[in-house]
Amino acid sequence: MATTSLGSQFDISKAVSNHHTIVMAAMRARHKIRAPRRIVAAAPTEDFDTLWNVLSSSLTEIHTKNASTLSFEELYRNAYRMVLMMRGDDLYERVKSLEENWLRNHVQKQVTESILPILVRAQNPQSLTDVQDQSNERRAAGERFLAVVKEAWSDHLLCMGMITDVLMYMDRITAADRTKPSILVVSMALFRDHVLRAPVRSGSDITVAQIFESTVLFMIQLEREGHIIDRPLIRNCMYMLEGLYETVAEEESSTLYLATFEPAFLSTSRDFYKEEGARLLEVGDAATFCRVASQRISEEHERCHYTLVAQTEPKIGEVLNEELIRKNIEEVVRLEGTGVRHMLDQNQLDGLRTVYTLNSRVDEKKSALTSQVSKRIVELGMEINTSSIAAPQAPASAEKDAGSEKKEKGKEKEKAVNPQTASAIKWVDDILALKRQFDNVWEKSFQSDQNLHKSIEDSFEEFINKNTRSSEYLSLFFDENLKKGIKGKTEDEVDALLDNGITLLRYIKDKDLFETYYKKHLARRLLLKRSASMDAERQMISKMKMEVGNQFTQRIEAMFKDMTVSEDLSASYKEHIRRSGDPDKKPIDLDVHVLTSTMWPMEAMAKARNGQVQLPCIFPREIENLKQSFEKFYLDKHSGRKISWQAGMGSADIRATFQRSNGKTLRYELNVSTYMLVILLLFNDVPDGESLTFEEIQEHTCIPEYDLIRNLQSLAVAPKTRILKKEPMSKDVKPTDRFSFNNDFQSAFMKVRIGVVAGGANKVENQDQRKETEKKMNDERGGSIEAAIVRIMKQRKKLGHVGLMNEVLTQLSARFVPDVNMVKKRIESLIDREYLERLEDEPATYGYIA
Amino acid sequence: MADSIQSEFVTLVSCDGFEFIIPRSAACISGTIRRMLDPTSKFSEALSGRCVLENITGIVLEKVCEYFMYNEKHKDQANVADMEIQAELCLELLMAADYLDT
Repeated sequence: MATTSLGSQFDISKAVSNHHTIVMAAMRARHKIRAPRRIVAAAPTEDFDTLWNVLSSSLTEIHTKNASTLSFEELYRNAYRMVLMMRGDDLYERVKSLEENWLRNHVQKQVTESILPILVRAQNPQSLTDVQDQSNERRAAGERFLAVVKEAWSDHLLCMGMITDVLMYMDRITAADRTKPSILVVSMALFRDHVLRAPVRSGSDITVAQIFESTVLFMIQLEREGHIIDRPLIRNCMYMLEGLYETVAEEESSTLYLATFEPAFLSTSRDFYKEEGARLLEVGDAATFCRVASQRISEEHERCHYTLVAQTEPKIGEVLNEELIRKNIEEVVRLEGTGVRHMLDQNQLDGLRTVYTLNSRVDEKKSALTSQVSKRIVELGMEINTSSIAAPQAPASAEKDAGSEKKEKGKEKEKAVNPQTASAIKWVDDILALKRQFDNVWEKSFQSDQNLHKSIEDSFEEFINKNTRSSEYLSLFFDENLKKGIKGKTEDEVDALLDNGITLLRYIKDKDLFETYYKKHLARRLLLKRSASMDAERQMISKMKMEVGNQFTQRIEAMFKDMTVSEDLSASYKEHIRRSGDPDKKPIDLDVHVLTSTMWPMEAMAKARNGQVQLPCIFPREIENLKQSFEKFYLDKHSGRKISWQAGMGSADIRATFQRSNGKTLRYELNVSTYMLVILLLFNDVPDGESLTFEEIQEHTCIPEYDLIRNLQSLAVAPKTRILKKEPMSKDVKPTDRFSFNNDFQSAFMKVRIGVVAGGANKVENQDQRKETEKKMNDERGGSIEAAIVRIMKQRKKLGHVGLMNEVLTQLSARFVPDVNMVKKRIESLIDREYLERLEDEPATYGYIA
Repeated sequence: MADSIQSEFVTLVSCDGFEFIIPRSAACISGTIRRMLDPTSKFSEALSGRCVLENITGIVLEKVCEYFMYNEKHKDQANVADMEIQAELCLELLMAADYLDT
């Protein structure tokens, strides 16, 4: 029935399955449970001791590596029988003592013999003055010893594996009652006690384990010093430590590795890195420190993975963090000449990246690096600030000199304006460059870390706001770019440029101040038609709106609206004149900008200087007619409005006729300011050769003195546009000067544009203007604060002082940072005006009076 | 027979001399046989690939082999039909199972 043929797998499986049914049929016929033949009992001659003798000699054979002569089946069957004889426990004990004897008499001897005296000597800390040759010797001896230990261990492991297999049946039965550890576990404990924990020499305190441990640590030390060591050997030794446990329960946490070796390893490492950290600091090169530190980190990583146990990596990492990095990083970052500052200045992205990585290992916030970076930003920022302040101061002093020597003034002023504005723009450019630099560093070296980003932003904010003129400078930057800068640039470039500016705007705390300047500059751009591109202007506004909010741009948008409305208005006025005007009269084209006075920065136009109320400019007859005609037209449309004319910002195209002394007539088209127009028209009534004094001109026109001087300078002093002759001929305009029409005016061009000296360009304010702006600013802020207080109180009805202050500050912080004293004053004033009251029963609480 | 260590088949021999040649993977279902054949241990069985089972008769060993094949065939399946076992063989099979750690 069974096959004895050596067929292929196919045949066999077929044979088996074929036989299956046949055998079934045959067997079923009997219907009787056949008692098992008692094979075990059939050999009653074999008693326990006989069996044991056979088995024990076989086990010794296994240890001496002669297993190939043994039949597993026979050994297994012997053990099986012994267990079936109910002598399993005896068997267990006998195997245990056999193993103990084997380990003690053979393995232990073998291992201790391999320990050379040098290894024992090295155990003594006093003799640890390792000279090079001694260390080589120790190393060689150590490697030999470790190899023996490893060999002993792997032999033991293999043999015990085989023996356990043979005794499997015993383990199954005896371990079933859970009172005894399996024979394998016992043998491991025996190895631990009789090999590792055996004294090196009889009577010595030093155990093999101690030698073992110190030898491995010595190897690691060698590797740290740059030697190449036998990693697989140590790794195998570590496997041994991992395979051995302190207790028979064999918990994960009680391996010898974790219990003894790892702590020793960590503590030597700690000492090593403490020393190394100190040594590296002494060298005093941050880049070296970082390089070595990161190298050590990767070395330890590698060590844990290839030499020791991967589990140790976080622990040794923590040692590195603690000893090498945390204790030193701050000093390293601050190292003079090589630290983070140096790296930032030299743009050493790699170095910074390493510092970042190291710092982030020990500190979630990277505070050492962060503080150094912020410090450097503020330092660099303050340098930019000082250089931008220093620049305008130089010309300012020059201006003073010029003041005493009045001739120079006009020229000096012209020069003084440009460097000031230029320095403002330079300030912005410098900051943008700085920002770019740090953004680059942040992205490339700091892995776009959020914390660092915030601190970089904060630092920028800090120094930008330390410059009291930042708002003005930024606005000038926009002004300059919107006037000239964007010409010839693509849309994307313009976009990027404006975005850069907006970035800075984000940092500025006093956004209302910026708004004031921006409006002022914008007004000039719009009215004097200096803006290079209306699209860019609109783009700018939408960007500001996104950045700062609706409220901020409301008024600026209103300015744009006025401009569009005015265009329509001018057109319809022209239409109106064409239809109704006298055909014979030469019409004067009029372009009017009707501006809503609350939306526009009026101080830019109506200069009520020194508190004097300025009389409106007296227009010549022709212009006066025109003015009245427009007023009538406008008020017909919008009754109840009041128009006040601002001549200061206007311009005019006039055709001028010059009678040469040789009788020729020359015509030029002059583009002049409205004031110049008024002045020049005066000379229509002045006969040739006669002149007008400055005072006469002033009397006839009521042009403010300051503007008059500037306009006369353009007409009579500027060399290329000398329409008027001045007597005496000098660079300054004095009240006693006399002016006459210059019939000999010459120009290469038909059209001549006569700019107002230092009038048209937006420039940095001088001290007086600045004070004025600040005063206005404060008034405006007072209003905003009051409005905020009332808004809050109306809603809350009752609020404590601190609460109110906080709310006011939060509400207003988007626009500016209110001065606490100012808020207090405003509260007082509101109480005086009976908007608020102090609640009597609750101290420091205000109530709202409806 | 050194190459039989890697051989796919092993020979199981009953006490009464019947030989069963079955795939190694099937035989190794038994813990005892698996250990017996463990190549690292270098017992004679592992070297020769031939296991003489001194206390199992041919009849029982045949049933055991049948079980090995049956198990191998239905290894990863659920709801496998039961294997038929004659009542007469039950006890002997149980003892063999105990011995073979199956």
